[in-house]
Amino acid sequence: MNVEKFSYDNKIVRLFTIATVVWGLVGMLVGLLIAFQMYLPDLSFGIQYITFGRIRPLHTNAVIFAFVGNAIFAGVYYSLQRLTKARMYNDFLSNFHFWGWQLIIVSAAITLPLGLTTSKEYAELEWPIDIAIAVVWLAFGANMMGTIMKRREKHMYVAIWFYIATFVTVTILHVVNSLELPVSLFKSYSIYAGVQDALVQWWYGHNAVAFFLTTPYLGLMYYFLPKAANRPVYSYKLSIVHFWSLIFIYIWAGPHHLLYSALPDWAQSLGTVFSIMLIAPSWGGMINGLLTLRGAWDKVRDEPMLKFMVVAVTAYGMATFEGPMLSLKNVNAIAHFTDYIIGHVHVGALAWNGFLTYGMFYWMMPKLYRTTLYSKKLANAHFWIGTLGIVFYAAPLYWAGIAQALMWKEFTPLGILQYPNFLETVIQIVPMYIIRSLGGLLYYIGVIVMVYNLYKTAKQGSFLANEEDEAAPITIEKDKPKKGKIHRWLEKRPIQFAGLATVAILIGGVVEFVPTYLVESNIPTIASVKPYTPLELQGRDIYIREGCVSCHSQLVRPFRSETERYGEYSKAGEYVYDHPFLWGSKRTGPDLHRVGGKYSNLWHYLHFEDPRSMSPGSLMPRYTWLLEQTLDIETTPVKIAAMRTLGVPYEEGYEEYAVEDLMKQAEEITNDLMNNGVVTEPDKEVIALIAYLQRLGMDIKANANGN
Amino acid sequence: MKIKKFLNTILLFEIIFLLQQNIFAAGDELNTVMSIMLVFTVIIIAVTLWLSVVYSEKNDNEGKAFLNPYRKFLKMLTKSTPIENEKDILLDHEYDGIKELDSKVPPWFAFLFYGTIVFSIIYMVRFHVIGSGDVQAEEYLEEIRAAQVERQILIKTGAFLNEETVTFTKDAGALSNGKDIFIKNCAACHANDGGGLVGPNLTDEYWINGGGIKNVFKVIKYGVPAKGMISWQTQLSPTQMQEVASYILTLEGTEPANPKQPEGEKWVEPKEEETKS
Repeated sequence: MNVEKFSYDNKIVRLFTIATVVWGLVGMLVGLLIAFQMYLPDLSFGIQYITFGRIRPLHTNAVIFAFVGNAIFAGVYYSLQRLTKARMYNDFLSNFHFWGWQLIIVSAAITLPLGLTTSKEYAELEWPIDIAIAVVWLAFGANMMGTIMKRREKHMYVAIWFYIATFVTVTILHVVNSLELPVSLFKSYSIYAGVQDALVQWWYGHNAVAFFLTTPYLGLMYYFLPKAANRPVYSYKLSIVHFWSLIFIYIWAGPHHLLYSALPDWAQSLGTVFSIMLIAPSWGGMINGLLTLRGAWDKVRDEPMLKFMVVAVTAYGMATFEGPMLSLKNVNAIAHFTDYIIGHVHVGALAWNGFLTYGMFYWMMPKLYRTTLYSKKLANAHFWIGTLGIVFYAAPLYWAGIAQALMWKEFTPLGILQYPNFLETVIQIVPMYIIRSLGGLLYYIGVIVMVYNLYKTAKQGSFLANEEDEAAPITIEKDKPKKGKIHRWLEKRPIQFAGLATVAILIGGVVEFVPTYLVESNIPTIASVKPYTPLELQGRDIYIREGCVSCHSQLVRPFRSETERYGEYSKAGEYVYDHPFLWGSKRTGPDLHRVGGKYSNLWHYLHFEDPRSMSPGSLMPRYTWLLEQTLDIETTPVKIAAMRTLGVPYEEGYEEYAVEDLMKQAEEITNDLMNNGVVTEPDKEVIALIAYLQRLGMDIKANANGN
Repeated sequence: MKIKKFLNTILLFEIIFLLQQNIFAAGDELNTVMSIMLVFTVIIIAVTLWLSVVYSEKNDNEGKAFLNPYRKFLKMLTKSTPIENEKDILLDHEYDGIKELDSKVPPWFAFLFYGTIVFSIIYMVRFHVIGSGDVQAEEYLEEIRAAQVERQILIKTGAFLNEETVTFTKDAGALSNGKDIFIKNCAACHANDGGGLVGPNLTDEYWINGGGIKNVFKVIKYGVPAKGMISWQTQLSPTQMQEVASYILTLEGTEPANPKQPEGEKWVEPKEEETKS
């Protein structure tokens, strides 16, 4: 047998590892800042670039795509080369991938604080960056598939299955959800409207969790856990069963983010049942991980890296049980829009993704630097500080979420809302916000301890850039699959494998999307719903820019407690001109879908200037710059034309006099403000935003009056 | 024997829970309490069994007979190969040193998976085949309907009546009820015809605590303890208080047999506009 000599590229692994640590520190620091802003609204110091609404997406993008993203790549580049007995396919692609990805992160860190956002959660980046993401991601995919093709190991190990599924699915998710019509270099409108946009967004959002935060991490778990424990994987059969069921079922579950919304009932129910069916496939990963430790639990006592992995896998099991429970409509009715969900996702992010990453680094760094870990004691300290941090982070939010939801729903014995003032329910949970931020701080301290430990480990070792190895080349015989060995056969064929995985993940999406688009009865139209006026459209774009959707929903659910508080519940037909939809996923402030006409223009003006002047105790930051900045009306004709392209029925040629209409409406509002003692100019941004807010919910009220 | 101790512990827990159940049962939510107790009992039994397994591993001789069925049951659920026999199911491939076992998919895992699939089928059939599919709109209408029914009941019992909202009723039935209430509860102090005995005369235009339906209602509701008038709100419903207050106002100008001297100020009904503001 002729044995080939080759080397593994450790340099790229080190680059991604460093990037993970750096962006982790940055992303979590931003998270810490917004956690403090939750109860210290003036902590943005009047600087628009660091208000909650703008940097909350910065936090989520940084931890998901920069911290977790780079960790995935570090782990994949390390494990894939060794599992395939091959160097990465192309060193240039590896480096292109690395620097391209960092460039994307930097551009996100610049554009998001500037307010350049599509407002779609975890897909906030504007269209030029979307294109860059697609290119870099495909480079990663090509590099990975190329490596697999020239492998020296006949079969693909389960970790690689998960990497392949990740690659194909994220590609599809990103492309479909990012379809948008550019109106300028950094502004675009989603091609989908209202309910359809919501469905696509949460198909994406949910599966970003599934195929960015879960499947690649399961792949990493399947490599690093048995390596660290030096134990065989518990069950190959279980791997097969849970892999295919997981990727097939996961894709359907997106609508559970839209329960009790204007999404058609049948789609909601599919979201619920597929979430329930996800319990077992998810737990398959957990039990295969934990049972792999059979006979090695004594090692867990000694090895901090195994402790991290055990907590990570257990937290994964907890979160994937909690998720399906939250998808039951009666549970969702309480937890949705509250801090409970924030607690839930952070158990996943801090424990599953975070701890698995740390476990992986504690194992990998000494290998890369041919040394031992600098200090086990510090790693243990990190473990305990981090675990405490997670508890102090999640527990208060669970408590806060349930407490607030019950307050929202509470009626007096005489049948009126017990807490009609939304603010009362917010002030009640401020102590929980304080504890949460301290939990976050603890967790952050743990990470700093790790960074020091890893740095010292690198310092004491010597880096091995190219690790030599040797293996015999393989030939794949052209055999037919044998009975009972079909999967074994498939493991030799990456292309067929990727094709089959693609089919598995497409089915759910297609079944849910196609009818929502084609069957008209799914979105009953409402005659009185009209397109936004030019001023309102501009105001809506400011609403998007400032990230109002981070804290305010525009979705009144069909509950008596909500229709009493806000007004008629939201109907699908109301959103037909909303590119993008702005339903929101969290109510730190009240719902705004029926806010039009509720307060005077003056109230809004003073409220933006200082929310606490109108609502003492409010947690909303001041938006003083809206009162000073001039609205860019030049963009109006382009925006109107773009909206018409997307199917909004503005008359042909309306863009000619749209600006005129805009000024007229702005002057009306300005005059009203003047009559009430506030002197301002019609071209201020705040005027457009007030116009938009005053419009919300008015169409359906007009409808009610008409009847 | 240790096993006896465990059984005793279970018994002890049972007794504690039964006692707690009796304490809670005084409330309304008996069913909830019962089911919580049931869950707790099951958990306690499970934990006890689990503890006994852990314990019996240390003392293999004792407790085996007791635990055999349980072990068999566990074995049935996991079908796992003991760690000593692991080499029998070690697959012949390895990836970068990682080996895989050919363990069976645990039956409990399969049951869980099938169970959720059955649940899902039932769920979809229940709401979208048998049901109308219009799930949340119907649920909402039902919630609103229930709230309206409750409101009607509240209106009937006069829950919305208080000293701010109460109005004088001319309804003959209501006034006749008011008279009955008056004779039964008020006559002892104010006389059958309202002429006053220990309490003041209710037939003249003079009132110690203000006249008019709202003041009279308020005095009945809260009483004037300093003067010996008791509070009636725990004994009369708001509607009953409205009826009796209205009846009392109809007595003005009648001529009782032994009228007490007028007390307090002469009451002049405030004008409409003033009451509105």
